[in-house]
Amino acid sequence: MSIFAVNHLCREVLRDHVFRAAMKSDPAKALAPLDLTDDEKQKLLAGDVGGLYRMGVNAFLMNYLARFEVCGLNLKAYNERMRAVKVDEVGCPVP
Amino acid sequence: MAQIVAGFGVPHTPIFPHFVKRDGPDCEIAKLFGAQKEQLAATRPDLIIMFDTDHLNTFFLDNLPIFAIGIDQSFKAPNDEPRDVPNYVVPSMRDVAVHVRSAVIAAGFDVGMTQNYSVDHSVTVPLHFLTPDMKVPVIPFFVSGHVPPLPSAQRCHALGQAVRHAVESWAASLRVVIMGSGSFSLEVGGPRMAPGRSDGVPDPDWAMRVVKYLEEQKIDRLIVEATQRQLLKAGNVGGELLNWIAMLGAIGHRKPTYVAPQMENGHAYGVWRWN
Repeated sequence: MSIFAVNHLCREVLRDHVFRAAMKSDPAKALAPLDLTDDEKQKLLAGDVGGLYRMGVNAFLMNYLARFEVCGLNLKAYNERMRAVKVDEVGCPVP
Repeated sequence: MAQIVAGFGVPHTPIFPHFVKRDGPDCEIAKLFGAQKEQLAATRPDLIIMFDTDHLNTFFLDNLPIFAIGIDQSFKAPNDEPRDVPNYVVPSMRDVAVHVRSAVIAAGFDVGMTQNYSVDHSVTVPLHFLTPDMKVPVIPFFVSGHVPPLPSAQRCHALGQAVRHAVESWAASLRVVIMGSGSFSLEVGGPRMAPGRSDGVPDPDWAMRVVKYLEEQKIDRLIVEATQRQLLKAGNVGGELLNWIAMLGAIGHRKPTYVAPQMENGHAYGVWRWN
């Protein structure tokens, strides 16, 4: 269930206040039971939103990670990491 | 017979209620929405049908219709915690929604539905400013404008026309206002954000061109140019323009009362009144 699970957990950060609190206090523990690949977990825990975007995760949904400041993210860090992704004119990542 | 009496194009920036609470009634946002509120009240609406793009809150990636309509007597809003927006229960008109859905399906549009539903800021924020007492019933009509493949502009315009025919085939007397909610150029949370912000306007020239076409009633030109590539070039929520285009289809070829651009946000406030 790759990528979909990442998109889903991003929305759960918005919707599920218990999950949101768990992601703020101990994200590794909160992510452990989810159906994620090791790469997805590592990128989430590192706040590597640029890497996740390149994998196809929805940017609008990932924005919740910055809004609620989970995985070490805040507006500044999120903005810098996401803007570092090179994209074509329609927003698709390019090498 | 029910009749469409006006069209409105509205932004729905989720932080705007907070800005207005912070900056007061003389700030630009308050004035622009305030002007629309006066225009809307003057139309004496019995019902608002709002074309809107859900931000993966009413629907999600596991179940995402291209078109859908909300069918219930009321709905809750908002479901995504925009700052300084209270929790509302918005009245709706279930029987009219059922009729509109049936009529547009008969016209060739395969429209899904949702019941016992809630909506996000994209419906709630405009209503928060325009009908804060939540006395006017609202039927949300969802258009998938964020997740490609998007419906075509031509299809959305034709959908609006089908909605007009549906409204006009409702036997009871109703004054119906059509709204289209959304931006012309906006990137939210993606690589084309502006520095230090959570959003940006990737294609301001397109946003200005949209305003020009609206003001000059060049809707055919707008539809031709609003390709999926252009909408995606305008940002990851640039497809919200489709809601305005559906609204334009519903109201027919009309001269706008005014279109007030707010280009730093890539959107505008539009009013079409004739009755």
